[in-house]
Amino acid sequence: MEINLLEQIVIPIIKILFIAHLLIIGVMAMIWSERRVSGWMQDRLGPNRVGPQGLLQPIADGIKFLFKEDLIPNHVDKPLYVLAPAMLLVPAMITIAVVPFGSSITIPGLENPILLQIADINIGILFILAITSLGVYGVVIGAWASNNKYSLLGGLRSSAQMISYELTLGLAIIGVLMLSSSLSLRTIAVEQGAYPWKWNFLIHFPAFLAFTTAMFAETNRLPFDLAEAEQELVAGYHTEYSSMKFAIFFMAEYMNMIVGSAVVVTLFLGGWHFFGLENVGGEGSILAGLISFAIFFIKTGIFLFVFIWVRWTLPRFRYDQLMNFGWKFLLPVTLTSIVVTGTLWVVVKENKQLWIGIGNVVAAFIVVAIVAGMLAMDNNSKSAVQSTPAAAPLRGLDAVE
Amino acid sequence: MEPLKNIESLAYFSPEILLVVFAAAVIIADLLIKNRESELVAYISLVGLGCSLVAILITNSLINSNEPIPLFFGMIRLDGFAVFFKILLLLATAATILFSLRSEELDARLKGEYYALLLAVTFGMFLMASSTNLLMIFISLETVSLTSYILAGFLTHSPRSSEAAFKYITYGAVASGTMLFGLSMIFGMAGTGDLSQISSQIASVLASGGVSTLSVLIAITFILAGIGYKIASVPFHMWSPDVYEGAPIPITAFLSVASKAAGFALFLRFFHVGFGKPEILQSIDWGFILAIVSALTMTVGNLAALPQRNVKRLLAYSSIAHGGYLLMGAVLLTPEGLGAIFFYLIVYLFMNLGAFYVVVLIANEAGTEMIDGYRGLATRAPLVAGAMAIFLFSLTGIPPLAGFFGKWVLFYAVIGEGLYWLAFIGLLNSVVSLYYYARIVKAMYFETSEDTNGLSFSTGTFALLSVFAIPTIFIGLLNIFYTFSDKITLQ
Amino acid sequence: MEFTLKTFIFYGFALMTIASALAVVTVRNIVHAAFALMVTLFGVAGLYVFLQADFLAATQVIVYVGGILVLILFGVMMTSGRLEMRIHIERGQLLLGGGISLALLMLLLTVIANTPIWKNLTDDGTQLAPTTERIGQLILNEKFLLPFEVVSVLLLVALIGAALISRKEVRD
Repeated sequence: MEINLLEQIVIPIIKILFIAHLLIIGVMAMIWSERRVSGWMQDRLGPNRVGPQGLLQPIADGIKFLFKEDLIPNHVDKPLYVLAPAMLLVPAMITIAVVPFGSSITIPGLENPILLQIADINIGILFILAITSLGVYGVVIGAWASNNKYSLLGGLRSSAQMISYELTLGLAIIGVLMLSSSLSLRTIAVEQGAYPWKWNFLIHFPAFLAFTTAMFAETNRLPFDLAEAEQELVAGYHTEYSSMKFAIFFMAEYMNMIVGSAVVVTLFLGGWHFFGLENVGGEGSILAGLISFAIFFIKTGIFLFVFIWVRWTLPRFRYDQLMNFGWKFLLPVTLTSIVVTGTLWVVVKENKQLWIGIGNVVAAFIVVAIVAGMLAMDNNSKSAVQSTPAAAPLRGLDAVE
Repeated sequence: MEPLKNIESLAYFSPEILLVVFAAAVIIADLLIKNRESELVAYISLVGLGCSLVAILITNSLINSNEPIPLFFGMIRLDGFAVFFKILLLLATAATILFSLRSEELDARLKGEYYALLLAVTFGMFLMASSTNLLMIFISLETVSLTSYILAGFLTHSPRSSEAAFKYITYGAVASGTMLFGLSMIFGMAGTGDLSQISSQIASVLASGGVSTLSVLIAITFILAGIGYKIASVPFHMWSPDVYEGAPIPITAFLSVASKAAGFALFLRFFHVGFGKPEILQSIDWGFILAIVSALTMTVGNLAALPQRNVKRLLAYSSIAHGGYLLMGAVLLTPEGLGAIFFYLIVYLFMNLGAFYVVVLIANEAGTEMIDGYRGLATRAPLVAGAMAIFLFSLTGIPPLAGFFGKWVLFYAVIGEGLYWLAFIGLLNSVVSLYYYARIVKAMYFETSEDTNGLSFSTGTFALLSVFAIPTIFIGLLNIFYTFSDKITLQ
Repeated sequence: MEFTLKTFIFYGFALMTIASALAVVTVRNIVHAAFALMVTLFGVAGLYVFLQADFLAATQVIVYVGGILVLILFGVMMTSGRLEMRIHIERGQLLLGGGISLALLMLLLTVIANTPIWKNLTDDGTQLAPTTERIGQLILNEKFLLPFEVVSVLLLVALIGAALISRKEVRD
């Protein structure tokens, strides 16, 4: 097999380096904007001393982390303790490999146009689900290796939470897959086209909400940050970590957010498309490529803002609420969404997308009403028998001892 | 006949569909019924079995006995063989549900799950009896195994039952893992999962030297581990005494009859359709290998039964021994052997279920499963003792009871093929088994207990008992009017 | 044999799978063993890619690495949670188990050696083709619909059983 050095080796490496650095810079930007946006939401200033508007604050933080003493407590399981941060960071970074961040650029002299994506594999979504599911190991292994009961509790909560919400994450995209009949993220993005009313978030609105919620849970962000609930568990799974190892946990969390947002944008928000801008500069030109990248970048940024927004809006779930919500609301809603989408796809002959969109929302309302009704009935009969609330597993320290 | 496609197959698949539908109905009914004393779920299950029976008879009228109908692209097959086993399994399940209604071991709160699982396991067994594809064979076997594990450990508060489930699942996991490995090797050699094509494929690669006899032999041995585990044949029988002892008694009865029958259905189809063809038999003589397994199984079962004091455990070993007798018929790979197995299974269904029913009754009334608890039963409950004596003597094979005719047909078929030594071992084993069966009879009739109060049973109990006892006496005569080997064939 | 990048990566995955599988059974710390199992399962997923089974590879990671093994770890942490949890194996058992494993290995090697059709399989150089659509058609529309549906009954039964076994004793 002939290997074209430039096209098959050099350009992919450039793309990989570009995206990897973009991610790291993105993390720094996220840390800065999270603190500034939080400050703005709470009517205070936030960090504004290092550099203009405090922009250099993340660099200062990074330097501080690097120069801190790297403590490894005596009682930890050393190999796994050291490995855990990497186990969390690596999956977060490689997921971005299959996400298309723009259209393609045609450069004269090259045989194929350059796709603005590291690898367009035909099982893209499965790849993302597979790699995301690896992320839990970093948390669990780190928690266990710390040999600390708070860490362990955090790890237990995290693994239970991730297993529960991974189901929703996987099922929520089935409807999307059915309509685009492809697992490739690029195809899914292209199928949606430039007009917002044809994007998947309207056609599969309940699935979109479920997917987003599940993604919040997968990234351990508020309101799903039970794994590190500071009022209960000190700092949860990373209690025993310090210096750069802690920083890596921190970075991985933000990377997961960025990648998650990018995936949502691709699956549900039309990817790099936006109406009116799809033909600027002509198909395949560098300008069009850059514009598509910019659109993708802005959409992801908006979604990241939602992350911060939610953090300061919703309080943390209690453990039993978390499980109830995941298993009794999100899962039925996504399952119904699959059935409704499939049925309407076969039954309806015209305006399929419109009807599927309406059908999904109606079905979701019905399911939520039924489940809520059943839960209310259940609670009534329970409170008649016993006055104590349902015992929440893992709520206190007695779960470990 | 061309295999039917998915939608076309549904009509022929209705017995199985009905079972699943009723299993779901049981779960839903259980949710809605607040009254814990209600036995409604059991009756729903019985109705489900009844509907399924009607469906079986209707589908049976659709088939011509000589031309099986392959369903679902050849995954399963509807033929007289499958229908026979389905009816047998259905009767066993119905009996188990009736036993369970009388049993006091089961937790009233878990009835819904219990009956749903029973219907699900019957569904799996139906598939075992009709699978004609390696994949389907494995999945149906797993469905039955997994459900059986749960049923065996159903008494969650009883350590004995939990131990039973644990042992069952540990042995089962190893056996099905080994079997899966064997299936994959066969698939790799034949390039197809379809049983009817496997024999010719394997024969052709054997002839061309692409596969050696040894490889096929080892692959089949691996598969035999899985099937042998289901029918509790030596050396895969170790789980069975502990599981039979620990499981709830109705489930023990169910496992010893239905699970074994389904295992035999799978076994017979696998060998008759897949590997019993002359072109393969030329290179590998299954008959001899299976004959040794059969002889070992009955001998080990009978010898181990001798010292037992617990009737449930004793019947467990006895059912291993009966598995050995049944294997004698399988050794032959002839229609006569097949007919003998059919007949013996019918007889075994009645006599073994009857014996277990008495065990349920005594466990409820006298609160014991030990032989000592049967002392003086002849005076305390003469009818029950009499029925038990009939079942036990029939299990031994004493004329004129049905068990005798069952063995007669089996030995006759074996001798007809010239395997005199195997028939002789079978005969010796029957004599040995008389010792331990007779010990229970002796306890009932010739020993006295301190407790001489009469035990009282309801009319329904006696009716059910006679449902088992009367056929155990007379069903032997069926053989005179009806020859299974003419009616049901496997091809 | 031609030694290309592909064979190099293949042997990398094979080595990774075998070495970690050995670690699973030899390591004494149960969490380390579970972690080694993760590497094994991941390696197997890599080998599936070489068999041109892309869908299977991704599913392997999602189901085994991301699901089942996390539950195993969850169980281990729930039950022990301490570093001292170690597995002790008696010398006699070790010898017996090792002997049986070795015998089984010899047996299987004999089978492979005696099955020429397996040895003559060669890489025919076909490109990696997507299998997802074909698998979907087979499972939901064609030959494998019945096994697929039966498996769903099997899973339902397993679900009922799991709920049954893990349910707390109800007092009333």
